[in-house]
Amino acid sequence: MSSAMTGKAQAQSGQQTGRSRLSALGSAFVSGGYTMYPVLALLVLVGAVVAPNFATGINLINILEQVSVLGLTTIGLTFVVLIGRLDLSLEGIVGFAPMLAAVCLVPATAGGFGIELPSWMGLVVALGTAGLIGYFNGFMVVRVGLNPFISTLGLLVLLRGGVLIVSNGRSIYSPGPALTYLGSAKLFGLPVSVLVFALVATVIGLVFKYHRYGRALYAIGGNEDAARAAGINVDRVIWSAFVFAGLLAGLAGVLMTGRLDSAVTTQGQGIIFSAFAAAVIGGVSLGGGRGTMVGLVSGVLLIGVINNLLTLAQVPSFYVQASTGAVIIVAAVLTTVASRRSSGVRTRT
Amino acid sequence: MDTHRPIVEMRGISKTFGSTKALRGVDFTVMHGEVHALLGRNGAGKSTLVSTMSGLVASDTGTIRIARTEVVANGQPYAAKIRDDIAHVQQTPQLFNLLTVAENLFLENPLVQKKFGVVSHKRMMAEATALLDKWNIDIRAESLAGELSAGTRQLLEIMKALSRGVPVIILDEPTAALSNAEKRMLFEQVKALKALGISFIYISHHLDEVFEVADTVTILRDGLVVKEREEVGNLTVELIADLMMGEKTARSVRVDHTQADAPHLLRANGVGLYPVTEEGVDFQIQPGEIVALAGPVGGGKEALAMMLAGQLTPYKGKISGTGGTLPTIGLVPTDRHASGYVGMLGVRENVAIGGLDLLSGRFGFINLDKEAAHVGSLARQTNVIASSLEQAVSQLSGGNQQKVVFARALCQNPQVIVALSPTRGVDVGAKEQLYALLRDLAAKGLGVIVVSDEEDEIAQLANRVVIVFQGRITGELRGDYTMKDLILNMEGVA
Repeated sequence: MSSAMTGKAQAQSGQQTGRSRLSALGSAFVSGGYTMYPVLALLVLVGAVVAPNFATGINLINILEQVSVLGLTTIGLTFVVLIGRLDLSLEGIVGFAPMLAAVCLVPATAGGFGIELPSWMGLVVALGTAGLIGYFNGFMVVRVGLNPFISTLGLLVLLRGGVLIVSNGRSIYSPGPALTYLGSAKLFGLPVSVLVFALVATVIGLVFKYHRYGRALYAIGGNEDAARAAGINVDRVIWSAFVFAGLLAGLAGVLMTGRLDSAVTTQGQGIIFSAFAAAVIGGVSLGGGRGTMVGLVSGVLLIGVINNLLTLAQVPSFYVQASTGAVIIVAAVLTTVASRRSSGVRTRT
Repeated sequence: MDTHRPIVEMRGISKTFGSTKALRGVDFTVMHGEVHALLGRNGAGKSTLVSTMSGLVASDTGTIRIARTEVVANGQPYAAKIRDDIAHVQQTPQLFNLLTVAENLFLENPLVQKKFGVVSHKRMMAEATALLDKWNIDIRAESLAGELSAGTRQLLEIMKALSRGVPVIILDEPTAALSNAEKRMLFEQVKALKALGISFIYISHHLDEVFEVADTVTILRDGLVVKEREEVGNLTVELIADLMMGEKTARSVRVDHTQADAPHLLRANGVGLYPVTEEGVDFQIQPGEIVALAGPVGGGKEALAMMLAGQLTPYKGKISGTGGTLPTIGLVPTDRHASGYVGMLGVRENVAIGGLDLLSGRFGFINLDKEAAHVGSLARQTNVIASSLEQAVSQLSGGNQQKVVFARALCQNPQVIVALSPTRGVDVGAKEQLYALLRDLAAKGLGVIVVSDEEDEIAQLANRVVIVFQGRITGELRGDYTMKDLILNMEGVA
């Protein structure tokens, strides 16, 4: 029967005209997540012409540094979005995890608990807390059977309050090198935060594409029952996706604390909306089962570049926010239309 | 109304999806009070033709007249124009799970509406109860549609269409999910309505049903009519099969590869199929054996299969393999659309998720060369026809989708394969290929468990038939059983 199959494949490729080959290329372009890169390139070009300060090395590195926090949060969010869930509490984790770590480290006079853990414990506490919160989210969704929208929304509000409780409503300054190194140091002339983001994006991008865990994520997002019938331990994958999401949000929070050299009570506020926007712009389907690391990164970069350009162009800050929203809508429309045109499959974004 | 004039007249219907021409200038007529069977292999254009008739899919060309409504098709939607003249029951029930039976039956039905579109709950319940009584179905009008069994849901969908009072009704594979008793109910209703002058267009893969219920047959092949309006009495199964295939088809027979002396592969001891059964079920399968689990819908055959496959935990008792370890089991679930394949993923990814343990190396990364080779060989073994292994499975035909599900079930090199309704909604050619595949697997020493409602299928495959009814095993056939034995055993409990 191999001949029947290859015969058909040959017949089809024989019929292929230049145009359909082009459309196949287009499909691969869109499904690979490259849709937004031409837009990004155009923006950078326009930026270089309009704002003289834009296309400088310092500014570009600055953009990357700014988006690394958003980038890690978006990657975390993508874990749960790929399986057709969502996690709003990631925003709470970005604020809460480093804050809890900070108050465990600094002396009581600086607003801490007074337990003054050794500095290296900072990272452990922050990531441990983040992971535990993710574990709790997974428990609520898998075991209790709550809709993740409501359970993580509740947790988000709870964590916002939790930040104020543990910090007594005050920001903690200079929480110690273990918490601030990743977000403030430089290595080979590049901010460590950018390197962390690049490393995480690369590793998890490979996991999404080539690891059995990634395959399971896409299968569950595409058809949970089929994944179960195929022998995938669906509950465990869903649960662990929430843990990974929490851990990455915790790491994002640590980077943010490092950059500011302090754990701020308002830290991370609003980041979940940007993360959703970045994911959708990057072609991650909120219905689950679709999305690539390449696309996700383009969404993150696009938001970073737009924010930067609007600031450089000295657009009043009120307008910055509104225009970011407008851009999100336009980009989401573009991504959806492109994916429908290329694959004929309706993506819910 | 002039009853000599056809109730449905379609001329020059064409429909193209992307690069495939599903219909190429089809003419189709239906007379008053006629059951008109539409036959053809999967992909012949049956479902597309009836979809253009009901407006579910807009035809690109041609004219359509149903009763007094006439439509000139140009690819634009026209479903609203003919909505009051035709009802279309699709292959999969389109019910609202969170609405009650009564609400589902009388949704958008003027019969139960008062002024300003306010729905009279009282009248709706009364009408629904009357309708359920008429069909003699033992469900309450206020139960939720989502709680019903697959067969009842399908019946409900059909009742909904029949109660709308339209002159033409399309039944697209109406019996796929029905038990024999439910089938009887349906046929009685069809005959009663036919006597009142209602016309039916009937699509089915079961030729015996066609001979029982249809008056006229039209056969499609590759989007063209190959036999138009033939009296069912002038046709035989062989003739129809030839017309459908366009070539002679040899019918296959069963082969026995059972290794009776070898240790069993999988065994169930006192397994409870329902939460409250007192009696447990004992079952075991040998290498090379093909066992069919048969019996009425809801009798427990699916539950037993899912427990054997490790997808359901038995309410009591134990499932074990040889020497305490469970064998690797591949599962072909009962409804491929709901739980068989991941539509948005390609053939390669769909097959690979069945064997992630086997295909991933150290640190869990997939070995891409191994994946390509393994999936490629499985696709050849199961005869999957796709433009490439990257083609999305949602774009394949029903038969090929099912082959992908089989390939996935085989990906982990299983010792036992559990296949529920292995050929539901699959064309004759693909059916034969899947039967050959299952026999081939048995010859290689796999244990094959098939859950089926089709006597033909069981007779062609199974070396042993186990009848499951009310959570118990009520009958067993071995070796050289005849078709008559089989039918009697299956009917004996229905």
